[in-house]
Amino acid sequence: MRNPEHAESGILYNMFVDLSRKKILVIDDFSDFRKALRKMMESYGAKNVDEASNGEAAMEKLEIKSYDIVLCDYNLGDGKKDGQQILEDAKHRGFIKYSCIYIMCTAENTMAMVMGAIEYQPDDYLVKPFSKEMLLNRLEKVMKKKKDFEDIERAIQKKDYMEAITLCDWKLAENPKNRFEYLRLKGDLLLKAAMYDDSIELYNEVIAIRDLPWAQTGLGKAYFYLNNFEKAKEIFQYVVDTNVTYMEAYDWLAKTMDELGALKEAQDVLLNAVDISPKSILRQKAIGEIAYKNEDYDTSEKSFRTVLTLGKNSYLKSPTDFTGLAKTLVEKKAGDEALNVLGAIKSEFKNDNAAALQAAIAEGIVYKKLDRGEESRKALEEAANMYENLAEQTSPDISMELAKAYFTVGETEKGTQMMKDIVRNHHEDDTVIKKVQGVFTDMKLSEEGADIISATRQEIIRINNAGVRLVEEGRLKEAIEYFEKAAAGQPDNKIINANAALSVMLFMQKQGMTEQHMKLAGQYIERIRKVDPAHKKLPQLLQMFRSLAETRPQ
Amino acid sequence: MNTSDRKGDFPEILASIVHDMKNSLGMILTAVDETVSDCGPRNCPSSRHLSQMQYETKRLNNNLVQLLTLYKMDRAQYVPTITDNPVCEFIEETIIQNKPLLDYRGIDVATDCPEELYWFFDRNLIAGVINNILNNAYRYANNMLRICAREENGYLVISVEDNGAGYPEEMMTIAGQEAGETSFSTGSTGLGIYFASIVAGLHKNRGKSGRIELKNGCSLGGGCFSVYLP
Repeated sequence: MRNPEHAESGILYNMFVDLSRKKILVIDDFSDFRKALRKMMESYGAKNVDEASNGEAAMEKLEIKSYDIVLCDYNLGDGKKDGQQILEDAKHRGFIKYSCIYIMCTAENTMAMVMGAIEYQPDDYLVKPFSKEMLLNRLEKVMKKKKDFEDIERAIQKKDYMEAITLCDWKLAENPKNRFEYLRLKGDLLLKAAMYDDSIELYNEVIAIRDLPWAQTGLGKAYFYLNNFEKAKEIFQYVVDTNVTYMEAYDWLAKTMDELGALKEAQDVLLNAVDISPKSILRQKAIGEIAYKNEDYDTSEKSFRTVLTLGKNSYLKSPTDFTGLAKTLVEKKAGDEALNVLGAIKSEFKNDNAAALQAAIAEGIVYKKLDRGEESRKALEEAANMYENLAEQTSPDISMELAKAYFTVGETEKGTQMMKDIVRNHHEDDTVIKKVQGVFTDMKLSEEGADIISATRQEIIRINNAGVRLVEEGRLKEAIEYFEKAAAGQPDNKIINANAALSVMLFMQKQGMTEQHMKLAGQYIERIRKVDPAHKKLPQLLQMFRSLAETRPQ
Repeated sequence: MNTSDRKGDFPEILASIVHDMKNSLGMILTAVDETVSDCGPRNCPSSRHLSQMQYETKRLNNNLVQLLTLYKMDRAQYVPTITDNPVCEFIEETIIQNKPLLDYRGIDVATDCPEELYWFFDRNLIAGVINNILNNAYRYANNMLRICAREENGYLVISVEDNGAGYPEEMMTIAGQEAGETSFSTGSTGLGIYFASIVAGLHKNRGKSGRIELKNGCSLGGGCFSVYLP
């Protein structure tokens, strides 16, 4: 190629790719491949090249050194952590910054698997064997691309999705060549920002041009979030039928079936998926949980055991992997082993109070099933104490676990009280409410549960509406006091916190900004962010907060 | 898909051996590339042999890749991974991969590609197709090669032309058949074309399927290979 364009990119090599000061990590199980890659990098001036032969060694290196370039082989041997898992682990633990280039080297037989990875994508893929010229060419392209997406990525890291969407729109207005990359990103962001109608419009526009699995999957997600599960199911099914290796669609299809109450079908979909791609911890865990609900304890046990094996040294390891297995084992009359599995939580999750709580809750249930009432009661008492102490760090899931345990051991009163608390704090969150109803149903309290949910919801709506009326009547001072009390009673309720923040900020817009009020508003907003970073009202509240911060205190 | 059923399955064993062979070949290829660049094209007595080795190793590698891909298509209903690709960058990359060999033979490569052209296709599959054609050009082109890309009636057309003697008659017949009906019986030189027609056929969009076309003549007077992707 001897045309002027190539001469130009020859200059670009020198501009972008100076490897002499780059910290580089090569991960491959074959030492010959590692050496070959090292030589390639050194021929372009690299001086700082480290090697690792497996996931554990790689994680140790990634933890202590901040690499600029990581070249990682996908398949690092049977039963070993693969390149995708290393990437996910390292990103999750913050070992890999946005500026770090992560290139996955694959054999073509694993290519589809790599491309179908769910959450974290590598920056690029190279199919072995490749020449050093090719590697350099790709490094250059990735560096350029990273620069192009830098601003958007920064906004995403701050969870400022509205800002990120605006930046995408600016880029799209320039009609860039890689328009579809921006559209894909924007679609994701619209989903994160709960702007489902806009995302549906975007995905349909893309599909009108080309039937792409990511666009179909995005469309399915939007319908899922809009509670249109029939439509979502149809779309995910279509993706699975037409793209057998697009793994994300299987997980969503199963989730949708679950919502539709088709637990058996959901289990089948996931079993199909693990046949194709067996290493996903979350997918194996989903099978364990669904099979448990289906009372298919053999499948459930098998999946939970796989989860424990895969979870070793993974950030995805969770105490609920152990409690899940223990609960299954009890059903299979292996009570002693169940207790052993729960005992392992202490050593696996040292100094982790939430894990200890989970273990205690599960112990309460397991002892009860083993007819050891006294030990069961003790375990739950301990759990209740830990729950009180954890306060802010609990999630509705943990609260529900404890409530379930109370129901199981016959302490219906305590269980009901906890369930009411959950509904109060999440009265408008359909996913949580659905889970609450699910717990009542599991405990054969379906009707009582429905009554409790609806009464509690109405109570909160009444409380909220009374406050909103005060705001509408302009009685802002009273509204502030009112919502302060309401928010103290329902600290995790997004709507109450949003209205509390709003009344304080409206008051400041009229009466002028004070630091004390700013602090209060900031606290409410922070609570919403903690519970749900993608809450619909959040961008508007933040905007208001920012413009108040720019005014002068009175 | 039941793994235990597949354990004793001969094609499966074959595929995993081919895969292993490909790993070794990859190592050889890297070593040869290294030696070639250490040696320099003109001032080394072995450079003719080295270049021959480079060519044959690449050819072997291309064949094995094709074999594995065809196996996979046969087995697991292979679905192409369609992404949106910058066509010029893609062409540039295939040239980079084949440059040492083409340089050695003194083959001049010209490209003609609109900078803003993006298209949907399976990057690896199409790279396999073009690599194979470029590898053949090493043997059959005289001293000129032209790669061009354009959009034509809703298809992306990538053409590779040379100034060699052109394609023999029987190969043009293979290429002319519909993808599904193509039979592969013309020996090793036909594999690349067979593979190309299958890969092209896997690319579908709005009722249209991809195809390939072999001609002789064109702008450089030799063989002219084109792949059409909807």
